[in-house]
Amino acid sequence: MLMVLAPTMMLLPMIWLCSSAHLWTSALAHSMAIALISLSWLCLPMEAGWSSLNTFVATDPLSTPLLVLTCWLLPLMILASQNHMAKEPINRQRTYISLLVSLQIFLVLAFGATEMIMFYIMFEATLIPTLIIITRWGNQTERLNAGIYFLFYTLAGSLPLLVALLLLQNSTGSLSFLTTQFFPPLQLHTEASKFWWAGCLLAFLVKMPLYGAHLWLPKAHVEAPIAGSMVLAAVLLKLGGYGMMRIIIILDPLTKQLSYPFIILALWGVVMTGSICLRQTDLKSLIAYSSVSHMGLVAAGILIQTPWGLTGALILMIAHGLTSSALFCLANTNYERTHSRTMLLARGLQMILPLLATWWFLFTLANLALPPLPNLMGELMIITSLFNWSNWTLLLTGAGTLITASYSLHMFLTTQRGPVTSPVVAIEPTHTREHLLMVLHLLPLLLLVLKPTLIWGWTL
Amino acid sequence: MLRHRFPPLGGGTARPTDLIRRKSTGLPFPGQQSPSPDDRMLSRLSKFGLSLPRLGSVPPARFVSQSKQNSSAGSSAVTELHNREEKSEHGEVSQYVKNPDYHGFSSDPVADEWNMKVGFFMGISVALVIGGTFIHYLPDHGMRQWARREAERIICQREQQGLPLIEENYYDPSKIILPSSREE
Repeated sequence: MLMVLAPTMMLLPMIWLCSSAHLWTSALAHSMAIALISLSWLCLPMEAGWSSLNTFVATDPLSTPLLVLTCWLLPLMILASQNHMAKEPINRQRTYISLLVSLQIFLVLAFGATEMIMFYIMFEATLIPTLIIITRWGNQTERLNAGIYFLFYTLAGSLPLLVALLLLQNSTGSLSFLTTQFFPPLQLHTEASKFWWAGCLLAFLVKMPLYGAHLWLPKAHVEAPIAGSMVLAAVLLKLGGYGMMRIIIILDPLTKQLSYPFIILALWGVVMTGSICLRQTDLKSLIAYSSVSHMGLVAAGILIQTPWGLTGALILMIAHGLTSSALFCLANTNYERTHSRTMLLARGLQMILPLLATWWFLFTLANLALPPLPNLMGELMIITSLFNWSNWTLLLTGAGTLITASYSLHMFLTTQRGPVTSPVVAIEPTHTREHLLMVLHLLPLLLLVLKPTLIWGWTL
Repeated sequence: MLRHRFPPLGGGTARPTDLIRRKSTGLPFPGQQSPSPDDRMLSRLSKFGLSLPRLGSVPPARFVSQSKQNSSAGSSAVTELHNREEKSEHGEVSQYVKNPDYHGFSSDPVADEWNMKVGFFMGISVALVIGGTFIHYLPDHGMRQWARREAERIICQREQQGLPLIEENYYDPSKIILPSSREE
């Protein structure tokens, strides 16, 4: 773990001491090197389940794919932000990259944490750099409102979690993930235990987000600058999923009855947010609601608690992280040129930027879960395990898949095909940087097709 | 890449063809040019309050008539929605004009090319290729091949010994202590 944490922490002095001409180059090169080192976590001996084990942090097959995704995302965020930050004063550029690096440090510690309180502290700590990025570097005045929604939704959800964890510490004496999986079943017979159950899960359900508590997501994703949108969509939502997967082990047997409304809410959210996507005029908002839709499936898959459900949830989290981040980058290429997020404004882009249209096409296909990409495999595993639980969920999940396909195609056809609108006729051609960014999103996704066992987690 | 479109700005001197055109277009004011389809769409879009940037020289929509150039009343033309001075202050001049090999990283061509090379090398050659090779040669990731071999070995062994392949009970029944059935 220190192999990755120490270089990441040393990125901070490097950013502040580097000369301004080589700031972004060095940040990119070093964060790529850290991403390479993070792949060493994938060398997992399975005997004990936990690897790289020390008193505070460890990795296991559940956290390793998420950790690698986090480390991979930092260089991509740096690549994406380079253009729109170029006009800012140098110290503000340094602050921006430092915020991204500190976010990475907190995320690595969060995913690697073995103690639940440490996970909670890191979970909350990730809010601060993200809030600063959204409210300081967002582009519209709505960013302040978005920051408030983001902060207070997550805080309101996680305060019950703190209380629940302290209660658990009191009753069991330990909150380490290594031992909680071997607990005897907790005596959860009182009414109060139902509230305790809800307290444990609420923070993660708000973070995922679950459909009823999802209002912060479209605001935060839309108002954030590109790096903020990328990290929010790719990793911070997965913190919620990861937390749920960790804590749900000890919440039995209450989960069998109490999870029912949440599963239905999640599935209903898949359909509803998919339908909202079909009516969106704002491109980033469409991608944000699409994230809510996919995460609804993940939430349902985790609450089902079967091996296929949990594995499907993890696969979908990783695949969605790469896909959603790439779609936000593509939307940002539009935004940097037209300074507007309206989809109808920039149409017929295939004629003008054909190679970019290729990336649009591939990531649209990934979003609508085209085989053999892991997006489909994750979705299929979740849908199958839900069908096993109750045949009727197929109506909702099937409708969700259909609507996902339609809004993804709607997004592609509106921006790429059709008549070329006049604001678009004279836009700047694409940069090599943007193509590199797309390739670095796409190639890991394609490589995961070849070795999917990397992201299967520890159940399958 | 940057196309400059300069449709005629002034009304031009009146010609007989203008009058004929005026009648056919049905526009109220003399000398008014019927706006091109793009102008019409732009005018509709600008009603939504978007500030459309003027990349290239797409002319703004004209709502008001333009008097002829030699009119004594002066031009009542609407000014452009974005001044040209303002546009160049925004830095909307494309980087490709100064540096045709612009890669998107930096305005300094040397740093730009260096950054591009570093990005591609570290991103693809180092992270994806070396990382991919590392992952490919990982010894039995997740012990799945071991699990398969072990299962086959156990099956062979059990079949030789005549035992059932797997125990029916997960826990040893003799070790389970049940509460006594009598009422308390």
